[in-house]
Amino acid sequence: MNRVLLLEALFWSAVVVTVYVYLGYPTLLAAWAAVAPKPIRRSPVTPAVSIVIAARNEARTIRDRVDNLLQSDYPRGQMQIIVVSDGSTDGTADLLKAYRGMVDVVVLPPSGKASAINAGVAAARHDVVVFADARQTFAPDALRALVEPFADPAVGGVSGELLLDCESGSGTSTIGDGVGAYWRYEKWLRRHESLIGSTLGSTGAIHAMRRELWRPLPTETILDDVLAPMQVVLAGARVVFVDDAKAYDRAAPVAAAEFKRKTRTLAGNYQLMTLQPRLLIPFLNPVWVQFVSHKLGRLVVPYALFVMLVTSAALATERAIYTAALGAQVAFYGLAAYGAVLDKRGDRRKRVRRSDARRTRSVTCVNELANGRRAKDEVSLEV
Amino acid sequence: MKLIIQRLARVSYAFVVMNAAAVSGLFAFGLGRRVWR
Repeated sequence: MNRVLLLEALFWSAVVVTVYVYLGYPTLLAAWAAVAPKPIRRSPVTPAVSIVIAARNEARTIRDRVDNLLQSDYPRGQMQIIVVSDGSTDGTADLLKAYRGMVDVVVLPPSGKASAINAGVAAARHDVVVFADARQTFAPDALRALVEPFADPAVGGVSGELLLDCESGSGTSTIGDGVGAYWRYEKWLRRHESLIGSTLGSTGAIHAMRRELWRPLPTETILDDVLAPMQVVLAGARVVFVDDAKAYDRAAPVAAAEFKRKTRTLAGNYQLMTLQPRLLIPFLNPVWVQFVSHKLGRLVVPYALFVMLVTSAALATERAIYTAALGAQVAFYGLAAYGAVLDKRGDRRKRVRRSDARRTRSVTCVNELANGRRAKDEVSLEV
Repeated sequence: MKLIIQRLARVSYAFVVMNAAAVSGLFAFGLGRRVWR
């Protein structure tokens, strides 16, 4: 095969992969959901639930988290709240002494999140287990909405919806626009995957499953909220997405934090295939098409983008279409570079605002000290 | 117009960050880094 043909084949393969993952697959899902939807039966049931929160050094948030659950409109007598403190050194578990009788606390040496969740489920008394993180909060009716699909015996797991502040434009994240758009797209996929069978993972901040379908997670598990639901799917039950069970969170404040978060998620996707290789086998995985298109596709696209850039550069002098393709990519990456500049600028502005706020507090402290309203040691903490 | 371009720039940047994270994720997994969330 001559060099130009080979480069062309590589270029077009990369285009097909990228376009399929981000456009073809959503189109397929929309058509599939329109032609062969699998509705679920929901009814306003309120089964007894065990709520598991795995926490490490969450002293700042854990009381708000528990209060938020206790303020839910779910019948109090139908809730068991379990907080697993995994090697916390900031007194997370001590703070929960005030909730004796309302919260079961499990204290573990540092063992990792998967072990903490395993311990939480082991302490669960009820047939439905709800998983939540320490940082996010639930809407008051979230638990009711989350368990309604369990009225359908085919449903083994339910994922709620996580709303990021940047989706409503209220957040302060500098990368919020992009993350918000990505997250809305991701939830659209999940909603449609759920419509035709099962979603490919749950939202760690708010999901539930039948305890009988729970299998302990390997201790090294990175994506507990994907592996656990996928085990439910492999057991033949459905995992569905309900967008009226809402939890709230903040987007990562800057791109660097989002990068770290995504690195972890995508490392988890690689790990998933080693922990549960059955996911890769079409006749063992009932959602194989969705898994390959959604999860594997995301892992392959960066390399496809690289191939597209290199091959179009190499072919730019051969035909106008490759020159145009190269131009379009350069324009796109230029736009992304401008986005990086905006992100940096936003980050710097935020730092300035924070430092202004600190200075204001310091001046206030000095004034209060002068007026005798503040003890000296308090001031030294503030400045 | 400026706002639209800025929005597109942020979305493009997020797309690039996410794809870079996929490559970084492969290295993180390969190196066996553990992350507690």
